Amino acid sequence: MRHKAPLIDALLGLIAGVGLVALYAPLLATAAISFFQVVRVRGALGFAPFSLDPYAALLANGEILAALATSLVVAAVASIAALGLALMFAFYFVSARRGLGLAMQTMVFLPFLLPPIITGLSLLIAFREIDLGRGLVTIIIAHIVFIVPVVYRTVLVRLQLLGSSLTEASLDLGASRVQTLRYVILPQMRPALISGVLLAFAISFDETLITLFVAGSQTTLPIRLWAMMRVGFVPEINALATLILLFTAVITFAIGMLQRAGERA
Amino acid sequence: METATARPWPDLLRAGLVHALNLGLPLLFVVVPILSFVAVSFWTLEEGQILLIPTLANYRAFFTEGSYLAVYLQTIALSLQVTAVNLALATAIALFIFRRTPRVRFLILMSFMLPLFMSYIIKIYSIRSILGQRGLLNEAMMALGLIDQPIEALLFSRTAIFIALAVLYLPYAILPIYLALDRIPANYLAAAADLGATPGQMLRDVVLPLGRPGMAAGAVFTFILTFGDFVTPQMVGGIQGFTFGRIVFSQFGLALNWPLGSALAVILLATTLLAVALAGLLLRREHVR
Repeated sequence: MRHKAPLIDALLGLIAGVGLVALYAPLLATAAISFFQVVRVRGALGFAPFSLDPYAALLANGEILAALATSLVVAAVASIAALGLALMFAFYFVSARRGLGLAMQTMVFLPFLLPPIITGLSLLIAFREIDLGRGLVTIIIAHIVFIVPVVYRTVLVRLQLLGSSLTEASLDLGASRVQTLRYVILPQMRPALISGVLLAFAISFDETLITLFVAGSQTTLPIRLWAMMRVGFVPEINALATLILLFTAVITFAIGMLQRAGERA
Repeated sequence: METATARPWPDLLRAGLVHALNLGLPLLFVVVPILSFVAVSFWTLEEGQILLIPTLANYRAFFTEGSYLAVYLQTIALSLQVTAVNLALATAIALFIFRRTPRVRFLILMSFMLPLFMSYIIKIYSIRSILGQRGLLNEAMMALGLIDQPIEALLFSRTAIFIALAVLYLPYAILPIYLALDRIPANYLAAAADLGATPGQMLRDVVLPLGRPGMAAGAVFTFILTFGDFVTPQMVGGIQGFTFGRIVFSQFGLALNWPLGSALAVILLATTLLAVALAGLLLRREHVR
């Protein structure tokens, strides 16, 4: 629809501009404040000269670092476990009877479709019923439940794109099923596997609403931040926010590149 | 692949194990938890103990006790408002992207989608620091001489929740609308132009009707996500902004009334399912017409 309509285009452009400002201004302001702290001189707003003090304070904050470590462990374990499960589910979907495959798929997708508050409190109640205390294990299980659908989707799309001819050729040539998987299917799926894991890692690292239900005293970074922000303003948060924004931007960029590479392959 | 005749029993055993794993795991970790939360909503709470006595008291409480029903309706109104505003904004933004050249489209779309991958809690935090009484928005307006006093209502108010939710969930509405527009065959537009349609007529009679499924999906996403969110209202709404999601969450925290919390959550879930069904129904009716 590139027929000239200057008035409509100007109006749409204006709205899009306002949208971008609304999305990015808060994030950029947070990043800016982490380097140039806000100070007040006789009630007026001013900025302190460039300093890395909040970053130094961040490195000295044991609570935040412990939560960061927990988050990294949870995200790593959960995304790798999710990859294994997603592969298993995807192979099941393409090989089992259609009805069974669809039944499995519907169940697997549910936690991603339901509001997170529902997934969170159902898991909390289920953990309570089997007397599993809130802690690292419950957080990891909840994250796996939540991210498997994402990895499954990525893996399945790639698997269906591959088709069955490669597998059949490999089996005809005398390779065992395990060899076929190891030397034919998995190498073909590498971009999908890597981008699936990265996406899962990013989602797990950021997960807040479900984790709030299932976390105990040892908790992840978003939950620790949530608790700190409720108490009040901590300058380290700006530094941490900036680092996390940078980190997610890099991961997102990597996923984008990988998915493009996967499409081209 | 295999014929059904005379399979040796180790094969059968392996097939059984495959089914057990692939159907059993989701059943155990997804379906059973959901069923158990629905079950808990029918149990009785007495002196802090959950008793396995079936009751509808938790559902009755929603209609009769305290302000549950009122907060529920207020939250629906809030979510609908955010949905309406974001639907309008997202449609305009999706149209804007759609009208660029293909090369630029991807870049603009990505810049609207990137915030989706940014930390949820940090986005709320940044929005809060902008909205605060001593926040950047107030300070900037005062510095520019637009206002004399900081606007206190910007933080810890319904307006604050509204703004924060709208900003947080805007990308979720843009994506489905843009994808729907992207599927419109180029020759439809060429045909409309050839037949003498003005850009305004093309927008109204071709583009927007074909983009409607995307708009419905965007509206449903926005409604479900804003209705179920309980952290944003708490972070920017303070004690003023009590939403239904917060009430549900508090039953599992401080209030510690799991049966009531579960019953309220069932109502929350039913509401979101209703929203999905309603959108589907509207689209189908449109199709028939």
